Amino acid sequence: MAQLTARFRTENPRYAVEDVPFSVPAASEITDLSHLINKLLVAADADHKYVEFDFLINGQFLRMPLVTHMEMENISTEEVVEIEYVEKYMAPQPEECIFHDDWISSVQATEEWILTGCYDQTARIWSLEGKSIMTIAGHTEVVKDVAWVKQDSLSCLLLSASMDQTILLWEWNAEKNKVKALHSCRGHAGSVDSVAVDCTRTKVSDFLKETFPTDEEDEMEEAANRPRKKQKTEQLGLTRTPLATLSGHTEAISSVLWSDAEEICSASWDHTIKLWDAETGGLKSTLTGNKVFNSVSYSTLCRRLASGSTDRHIRLWDPRSKDGSLVLLSLTSHTGWVTSVKWSPTHEHQLISGSLDNIVKLWDTRSCKAPLYDLAAHEDKVLCVDWTETGLLLSGGADNKLYCYRYPATASDVGA
Amino acid sequence: MGTPPGRWLQSWSTLRTPGEHLSCSSPCFEAPRAAVPVSVCPHQQRAVPQGIPFTPSPTPVPLRSPAACGGIMPGGVFLGWRKEARAPTRALLGWEMLGGGCLGAEHLPDPHCCSSVPSHGPGGRGGGKGLILPCPHAASVPPPQDIRNTVGNIPMEWYEDFPHIGYDLDGRKIYKPIRNKDELDKFLEKMENPDYWRTVQDKMTGADIKLTDEQVDLVQRLQKGQFGDVHFDPYEPAVDFFTHEVMIHPVTNRPADKRSFIPSLIEKEKVSKLVHAIKMGWIKPRKPKEDTPTYYDLWAHEDPNSILGRHKMHVPAPKMKLPGHEESYNPPPEYLLSEEEKLAWEQQEPAERKLNFIPQQYRCLRAVPAYPRFIQERFERCLDLYLCPRQRKMRVNVDPEDLIPKLPKPRDLQPFPTTQALVYRGHTSLVRCLSISPSGQWLASGSDDCTVRFWEVCTARCMKTLPVGGVVKSIAWNPNPTVCLVAVCVEQSVLLVNPCLGDKLLYGATDQVLESYTPPEEERVQPVQWLTATIEEHSKGIRLTVQHSKALKQVTWHGKGDYFATVVSDNSSMQVLIHQTSKRWSQNPFRKSKGLVQCVLFHPIRPYFFVATQRYVRVYNLLKQELTKKLMSNCKWVSSMAIHPGGDNVICGSYDSKLAWFDLDLSTRPYQLLRHHKKALRSVAFHKHYPLFASGSDDGTVIVCHGMVYNDLLQNPLLVPVKVLKGHALTLDLGVLDVLFHPTQPWVFSSGADGTVRLYT
Repeated sequence: MAQLTARFRTENPRYAVEDVPFSVPAASEITDLSHLINKLLVAADADHKYVEFDFLINGQFLRMPLVTHMEMENISTEEVVEIEYVEKYMAPQPEECIFHDDWISSVQATEEWILTGCYDQTARIWSLEGKSIMTIAGHTEVVKDVAWVKQDSLSCLLLSASMDQTILLWEWNAEKNKVKALHSCRGHAGSVDSVAVDCTRTKVSDFLKETFPTDEEDEMEEAANRPRKKQKTEQLGLTRTPLATLSGHTEAISSVLWSDAEEICSASWDHTIKLWDAETGGLKSTLTGNKVFNSVSYSTLCRRLASGSTDRHIRLWDPRSKDGSLVLLSLTSHTGWVTSVKWSPTHEHQLISGSLDNIVKLWDTRSCKAPLYDLAAHEDKVLCVDWTETGLLLSGGADNKLYCYRYPATASDVGA
Repeated sequence: MGTPPGRWLQSWSTLRTPGEHLSCSSPCFEAPRAAVPVSVCPHQQRAVPQGIPFTPSPTPVPLRSPAACGGIMPGGVFLGWRKEARAPTRALLGWEMLGGGCLGAEHLPDPHCCSSVPSHGPGGRGGGKGLILPCPHAASVPPPQDIRNTVGNIPMEWYEDFPHIGYDLDGRKIYKPIRNKDELDKFLEKMENPDYWRTVQDKMTGADIKLTDEQVDLVQRLQKGQFGDVHFDPYEPAVDFFTHEVMIHPVTNRPADKRSFIPSLIEKEKVSKLVHAIKMGWIKPRKPKEDTPTYYDLWAHEDPNSILGRHKMHVPAPKMKLPGHEESYNPPPEYLLSEEEKLAWEQQEPAERKLNFIPQQYRCLRAVPAYPRFIQERFERCLDLYLCPRQRKMRVNVDPEDLIPKLPKPRDLQPFPTTQALVYRGHTSLVRCLSISPSGQWLASGSDDCTVRFWEVCTARCMKTLPVGGVVKSIAWNPNPTVCLVAVCVEQSVLLVNPCLGDKLLYGATDQVLESYTPPEEERVQPVQWLTATIEEHSKGIRLTVQHSKALKQVTWHGKGDYFATVVSDNSSMQVLIHQTSKRWSQNPFRKSKGLVQCVLFHPIRPYFFVATQRYVRVYNLLKQELTKKLMSNCKWVSSMAIHPGGDNVICGSYDSKLAWFDLDLSTRPYQLLRHHKKALRSVAFHKHYPLFASGSDDGTVIVCHGMVYNDLLQNPLLVPVKVLKGHALTLDLGVLDVLFHPTQPWVFSSGADGTVRLYT
């Protein structure tokens, strides 16, 4: 078979072509199809500049010759094939490499600042250019997780969770570059591995790695409900106790997040992901896997949970499905434990994952067999990844380096 | 054929001369007036004998046959018939001669006459004979008295009971000749009459006829199978009436029929019917014959136990020994017997002789005489065949694969560790021992670089490094989750270390418990010294030092976490010591040494104590203070031991690369010996929850096996090797030194001589 009939369509009106069937060579690949579309566009508009395209057939990215893909997906080659094309996603551009003194356990970035937690018992604030702005020392053990709570023009509130069983709430004045510890939150009987701030920025949920696997708790703390008064007390270690304790996991909890204002999601080593009602503290549902979960992430765009586990797969879950453990999709390419996953805040289909095989992968859920890009810069285990709304990819690992990538998504976005 | 009878009648009538009557085709015909011999049935005068079927068949088939024949036959015969028809009387006579019967219109309904007509019975022959053979009686009897019997072709037995034998031409009875000869007369006649042998009885007349010489000659010729006629030459040259050559004149000059060149409507109709039938599928084409000859195994379904099956039990005849050089007519000289040998041969018993003949040399093959022992040898050969053993050796063909028990596939026995996930790097020398905290969060490893390192399991981060100033031989984390204490064997002392990892409250409480110890008032004599750590040691985490007199091998905790046992490398009775942490009290449980102790273990549930020496594992009851069991390991040197969390199964690794699984309820011998490793086993371990056990060996591999123990006592444990884990590099000919399972996950740690600890998940 030499020729196939295909019909091209796109969501982007800038690149729309005539909706008529074309006969294309069966063995054509992405570049050939891309040339074809560009020729059509040039024919319509002489000012058109060359654009690389990516092609989707039935929601799956084309990554091989057209006919091979269709054979694999069991699509009939006799009929007209509907091929959707989108502008090709650009490769992430490396921007900064920020050196730390020790392993980087966690990272969270905003539009201006990057906050990292480090194994040298400090949390650090960096500018996007890679300048060290502030080092926050106060913990007596490894800082396992950090989170921004609130960002004003003058002062920022941030949290750091540590292996010393405490969470510290800090206020950082950006102009004066001074930091103050506001509260120390106690209540965990083990290392605090994960901390999450809810979307209204008033509550903190932090989770621990329990020393005793029989009785697990996760605790939620009201941290910032009356910030004015708390600011006045400059005393370090004004202790706060948990607002509620969610217990039900039988082993260490590795990751926690707010999926919306009333729902908390926690992933644990006991092979389950549990969804909790934040108001009542009751268990809403349980998603059961068969391997330890290292990380979980939730996308408000596509309303899916992504979990990274020790069996090297990233799994996508629908938290709303009532019949429990329904895995929607498995993304398989890593060769080590997946230590962290993060959905894109702007793209519905994209997520990023870091693994113990030293590689950060950028995924599109429409291409579950192979990732979009492999970011192989780390020389040791990748422990944390983050994705900001401004399109910045961050990954930190055991090689003490924090890598930043600018991910422009599409070429046209760069121009815009 | 298909011609209506009326037409035939018409044609016949044209053939007939006036006054002639044919008896055959017309149903109403007159009886011929000619003097035709008429068979007269005795029933015309007497009753029909019983048993004779009386079937009135008005139209005898054979009578119609000449006419019918005339219809079918080609013209030549027809002509002949016409010739005959000119003289109907003669023709009828001839017919009588051929058919041997006679016709009579008035007799037609008579079944006897009907049946008599076609048959060529004796009556017919009699009639014929009367014409062919000159009757001797006729010669002897005066001519006017023609006593020809007119009875016809009927069985003469019908006249057996009558005095007469038939009727002559005038209808008078022919009486049987008087026969009053008895057997004696017959005999006398046979003896006296020279012509007796040629005398036959005429059945028609009952008279004796003496055959003439010509008749005798005829009979003899017929008996020989020759022709009756002397002058008939069967070999006269044949005249070819037809030739293979095509003649210019046809045999018949008749023009071809019109129908021969006009398509036949009838055939067309038939063909169209056939075509229709084929179309409708009523007629199907013949199946093509299979050209391949079908062979089959005649004996395929034969029952070997049946009688026929015995033929299969064929025993081949014993083979004869082939002749050797000594049987040659000109053997090599070394085969020839010397004089002494010949003498010895002659003196031997015939049965004892090695050779049953003396090798002899002849000049040439021509000079070889007849073999004198031939008959003897044939006889012996017959004896051999007769007495050869008939017993068959039954060989059982067993596929060796079938003998291996069916094990489940490893894929079905998930979960078990399959791939290497993390490598814990930091030690600079071989890592001898591993221990994990009860929560599974921290890992402690002791190495030859004189340090103990504490690792975070999930990230492979070394949290603490504790220099201890000596090679760490053994390390054991306290199994009690409420106590944070690690026992470390360093040379001659056991260090009790608080690693200060995990919950602050917990390790604080542990310190408090240790500090709250108050020494007893009276000092007791102890085999060891309990020393509290100095301030410098305390800052490192060391809390207590138990000083032994000799180098230590192993330390192990009791499940409750208060007692621990140590093994001293010594050959005395002081090899094993049991210590109590809370009371800082040590004791020596054994009075006598039973051999070099390799390792000891506490039973996880019951108060038993396992002591492994080089070859045996002894199980002691600590409450009753007695030996409960002695397990024979079947190994040369036990290196390590592990107890199933259920407590009823023990595995032992040995330096001769064997792993023995003991089922304590089953036997004191190993339930199974696994020889999967190529080199000495260094360590074995059981998982706490999953049915897994692992063994580490000097060949650098860890073999994970599925070891399912059933609650049902009748079911034996199921042991299936599931995975070989590789990763450690061989250093100093040492591979894996210790293996350890994670307490909650199906993960296995291994420490190697290459200074790394690896986690497989």
